[in-house]
Formats: sequence, C-alpha cells, structure tokens
Amino acid sequence: MESGIFHSTYQKDMALRHTPIEKLRLALVILFVLIFPFFADNYLLTLANTIGVVAIGAIGLNILTGFTGQISLGQGAFMAVGAYTAALMSIHWGAPMWLTIPAGAIATAIIGAIFGIPSLRLKGLYLAIATLAAQEVIIWVITHWDAVTGGVDALNTKNYLWFGGSNHYFSEFQFYWIIMGLAALTTMVTVNIFRTRIGRAFIAIRDQDIAAEVMGIDLFKYKVMAFATSSFFVGMAGALIAHWRQIVTWERFTIEVSIFYLAVVIIGGLGSVSGSIYGAIFMVLLPAILNNIGRSLTGVIPAMDVLIPFIQQMVFGLVIILFLILEPEGIAKMWKNVRDYFRLWPFSY
Amino acid sequence: MKKQYFLIIGLILALSLVLVACGGGGGGAEGPIKIGAIYDMTGPTADVGAPYGRGEQGYVDWLNANGGVNGRKIELIGQDYAYKVDQAEQLYSQYVNQDKVVAFLGWGTGDTEALRGKIAKDKIPFMSASYSINLAKIDEAPYNFLPGVTYSDQMVIALKWVLEDAKKKGVEPKVVVFHHDSPFGQSPVPDGKKFADENGIGYTDIAMPKGATDLTPQLTQAQDFGANYVVIQNVSSPAALLLKNAKSLGMTDQTQFICLNWCADELFVKLAEGAAEGALGVMPFTSDFSVPGAKDPAEYLKSKGKSLDDEGLHYVQGWWTAATMVEGIKRTLDAKKDLSGENIKASLEAIQNFSTGDVTAPLGFTPTDHRGNDKAKIHQVQNGVWTPITDYMQSRIPVQ
Repeated sequence: MESGIFHSTYQKDMALRHTPIEKLRLALVILFVLIFPFFADNYLLTLANTIGVVAIGAIGLNILTGFTGQISLGQGAFMAVGAYTAALMSIHWGAPMWLTIPAGAIATAIIGAIFGIPSLRLKGLYLAIATLAAQEVIIWVITHWDAVTGGVDALNTKNYLWFGGSNHYFSEFQFYWIIMGLAALTTMVTVNIFRTRIGRAFIAIRDQDIAAEVMGIDLFKYKVMAFATSSFFVGMAGALIAHWRQIVTWERFTIEVSIFYLAVVIIGGLGSVSGSIYGAIFMVLLPAILNNIGRSLTGVIPAMDVLIPFIQQMVFGLVIILFLILEPEGIAKMWKNVRDYFRLWPFSY
Repeated sequence: MKKQYFLIIGLILALSLVLVACGGGGGGAEGPIKIGAIYDMTGPTADVGAPYGRGEQGYVDWLNANGGVNGRKIELIGQDYAYKVDQAEQLYSQYVNQDKVVAFLGWGTGDTEALRGKIAKDKIPFMSASYSINLAKIDEAPYNFLPGVTYSDQMVIALKWVLEDAKKKGVEPKVVVFHHDSPFGQSPVPDGKKFADENGIGYTDIAMPKGATDLTPQLTQAQDFGANYVVIQNVSSPAALLLKNAKSLGMTDQTQFICLNWCADELFVKLAEGAAEGALGVMPFTSDFSVPGAKDPAEYLKSKGKSLDDEGLHYVQGWWTAATMVEGIKRTLDAKKDLSGENIKASLEAIQNFSTGDVTAPLGFTPTDHRGNDKAKIHQVQNGVWTPITDYMQSRIPVQ
C-alpha cells in the first residue's frame, strides 16, 4: 500500500515522471492528440488549435511570471511583435513559414529582453506598470509606423513553404499538426529548462532575489534572460496566429489579451508547465461551452433570450472567481489533489 | 474539501457532454434554411449593434410567421460575440461546419476582415455591417456583399456636398476628418484625400483616441487648420462627445459637422443634447419611418409590444440586410437550384433594382462589384430630428 512517493536516488528525484501510471497517462494523452483530428470536425479543430496557440503563449508567460516571479502586462504586444515580424517577412521577402515563425520568436525575444531591462530595478506593481508601458508603446508604434507595419490596416500574411513558392492555404486539420508539434516542443523545452542551472536560477530569483544574488546568481543577466526566453515562446504563438489566421491586425493584441493570458496562467497554476496547458484548455473551452448552453437555452423562455448573452458573461466571471476561491493554486494543484487521493487511498498523508 | 473537486470535475464533464450533444445537425433539402449570424449585444459597439442584431432576428421571425421563403422556414442561428475576433472565428466555424449554414450575417470590420479568407474558401455568402471598401475587393473577398454604401463613397458624397455648399457661401473649403483610431475609422480617409486633392479641398485627418472623455485638444488642432467642415467617421457616443466639446468651444457656429452612417442616428442626437442641432449626416439607410419599407418592422414590433421609435434606424438597417440576403436565397430556390454558396452568390449578383421600400435607394449587385448601393441622402438634425435636405447623391469610386 502506497502512502506517498519517496525518492532514494538523485536520478529518481530528477525524473520528470515518477510512476508507471504517469508514463501510461502521458502515452494516453499523446495517443489522444494523435487520433483526435481524424474524428473531429472543423469546429472542434478550430477549438483545439486555439487551445494549442494559447498554451504556447501561456507557457511563455508562465516562464516569466510563474517561474521567475516577474509580472508582465505586455503579453499582447509581445505576441504582436511575433505576428508582425512573421507577416511582414512573408509579405515583403516571400520568406517561408519555417523561417518566419522562428524569426518572429527571435525578434520578440530581443524586444522582450529590451523591455526586461527595467526589471532589474523594478519589482511587483512597478514592473507591472513598466510592462504595461511596453504594451502601449509597441501597439502605438505598430499603428503609427505606416511605412513598415501598414498602420491600422490589416496585413494579409502569406503562407509560403519555400522562397518563391505560392501562397499555401492550410486547412484546420493541417495546421493542427503544426500547432501541436510546436506546442509539444515548447512543453518539452520548458520542462527541461527547469532542470538546468538557468531554470533553477529563475526559480531562486522568484523565491528570494537577494538570497539568489548572494548565492552568486547574476540577477541582471538572469532576469533579462527570463524575459527573452519567455518572449521567445510568446512571439512564436504570435507568429503562429499570423500564419494560421492569415491576417494580422493590432486589434488582436490589445491589453485585454495580456490580461487574458495572465488569467490563463493563474487559473492553470503559476509555476507549472502542465498548469498552463490546463489553463488554456479551460479558458478556451469555458466560453465555448457557455455559448452552447446559452444557445440550447434560447427559445426555452423567450422573454429571457435577450438576457442570455449577459448571463453568459456573468457565469464566465463567476466560474473563474469560484475556481480561484476553491483552489488558488490553480487547476494543476487541483488535478494533483485528485490524483493523490486515488493513488494513496486510503492512507494518504 | 475533496468532495468539491469531484463536484467540479463532474460539472465540467456534464458541460462537455452538452457541448458534444449540441454538435451534429446539417441542412436537409426540405428542412429549414439555416443562416448564421453574430451580433454585438454586450461589447463596445453594442449601442448600435444590439438594435441591428434584433432587426435581423425580427425580420426572420416576421418572415417565418408570414410563410417563410417559398414555404420553407429560415432558421437564424446567431449569438453575441461581444466584438471579439476570436469569438467571431469560433462561432463562424461552428455554424459553418456543424450547423451547415448556407449564408452568414456578420457585424464588425475587424472580424469580417479576419474571416474573409475563410469565407472565400468555405464559399459562404456574407453580409456584415462593415462597409469598408476593403471588403469590396472582389479578388480578395469574393463572397462578401455590402448592402450599404462604402465608407469611402459616403466620404466622397459628403465632400461633394461640401464643394457645393462652399461655392454657395463663397468660402474656401477646409475639411478635417475625425475618425475612430482603427481599420473602421481609417477606412475612408485615403479615398477622401484623393477626392479632396483633385477638387482643391483642404483636407486633413485627426484620430479620436479610444475612450477619450475630452476631445478639446483635437478640436483645437482642427481650428488651427482652419476647418470649416468636419466629417466624423465614428460611432454615436464619441461623435456626440465631439459635438458637445465643439459647442462649448463655440465651433458649431462656423463649422459644419457631418456624420457618416455610424453616427448619423437617433442615439447621437440624444447623447449630444442639443449640440447636434444643425449637424449633417450621410444616410444610406433612412431614419424616416413613414416610408413603405419601415411599415413591416414597425407593425412587427408593435405586435411584440415594442416600438420602432425606441429601436431606431439600425433596427431597420439590420432588418433589410437580412432581407437582402434572403432575397438571394429566394431567387436561388425560384431557379430550382441547390442552396450552395456558389448558387446563392450568383443569385445575389443577379439582383438589380431590389426595392427596400425607400429605406435605401434600390439595391443591386454585379459579378464584378458587390457594392449594393452607391446612393445616400444628406440629412440634417432639425429640431432634434434627422430631416433629408438633399435628394439621393451618388458616388462609386474605383476599388483599388
């Protein structure tokens, strides 16, 4: 009878998965992701792709906010940098997607690192305001630098497979593989970052920055590095949106997006990679489910029809608040509790 | 504590079942004809979006009560998307792929532009309340139809009026365009500049910052430019604010303010509280509810215990937009053809001189131009009521 997991070697302590059940569960998830698109219609694929993109962006934000403890309100603008870089490269240079997506990510990493510099002297709310400035400044530049970004007008991204190729239209099914592939890569890279010195330095900074500095961690270097790493994935999510939707406008990357992503990582679980994925699933599916419930209720009480959209919005807010009250550490913690309850039954500590 | 987790998980599972159960569907050959729609009922443009959406719903309800289209009912599947592009994409995808709608009624510029590639790929005839000339580019948006006059053409109509008026008054026309800082607001600015340059009108544009509570600095800028005409491309609430600020600056006496269609409505007059008196509006959809085309919506609303005066002209606008789409469907059925996107598109493109009972000038589309209307009357706020002061004025500039 189990009553907990106890590590007796360093190898076991470092392992990502500790029990055979965890391995089986991972295998089942991978199997599901591989089989799902063959049975799903385009609507479900649209939802799955949205979840994939949100998961990549949320993992990126979680590196910064959840793991390094640096709050960011500039998420939307950083995504815009990735999206515009990818879109402009494809439009002006005919650059293929396998080049524009990494380029978008790298460009965002550079911009993110620059806006991360003030984080050396600013903490908490002050940093929140500094990143809020990043959000506003970047969007202002995008909407006013007509010569490069086309101003407030939308850009039509081209999907090339090779230089000089023709614009390729991807179905939701085809894009599913691109998004899920990159989401899997993002997950693997991020999980492993936190098994290295760099990742541990990030966590040390979050837990107590002065102690971290005393231990020999160069705060400036690692904080800027956290901004760059985080922005890299955020930019990648932006570049993916540019190619997936084939249209880029600044209206997609407003402050609301930044707040949405903060909600995703908080609800999913700060400082948890899998939490970001749960958060993405939850925050994308909840409005969709509410929409469908609202729809099936339409006409049941005709006098109420007008109110349904408002009720939907209220329920959305209410569910999020309830989640936070019942489990402030997010869905990741909730899932862990359920898991432990079953595994350790009846002798849990 | 533990029990709560199971409760929540059980709840999530139950909700997902509802989601799955709501799938399926599909359009049979004899069942109701499905049209998809998205409305802004709760978002930032809900002030004009909600009555517009209710107009679309009202039309379909009225039509079904009166026998439907050739005996078949129309099922309008629509929901609020709160002006969020992501929501619009999800609802569009659901209605097209799961519900198999044959046509779609949209709303904003941002979401219609974001969807146009998919619309073309899915071959879904689409009419939205955005009259951006970008959506009239036939090679980029072959399935988008515009039942209203494009913002660019509205701008040219306004400038034509300015030319005549300036000649009458013997002044040199100087126009400032105040616009919403977005693709919607910018849309007519370049085409207006082209017309102004060709006709010797002084012309500049000033963006109205989102959420501004005081537009005096922007108005001062316009005064420095020497503006004697101001064209507004924005929705009612900020436009009303602009007029109030202008009145306190004493600008309304020397400067003629002209609204394009999204601020030329009853709400603008109400919110501007007297400052709107004398302002002009380029109105492709009439605010005069004594025309024959407003009779059905007025009677329908009366039967529901509401009144058209409360809903306003955007209700009639939504009503006739839905009616125009249904006309395309009706003609396809009359020709005994399948309700495929291509066939409905072809039927819409064959529409000529479609009467909306004087709500608009007669509408018509061609395979090379999906701008259904190119005429609007200039109205003026007189004693708090929009009153036509010209006959239909026309503009159809080339689409680049």
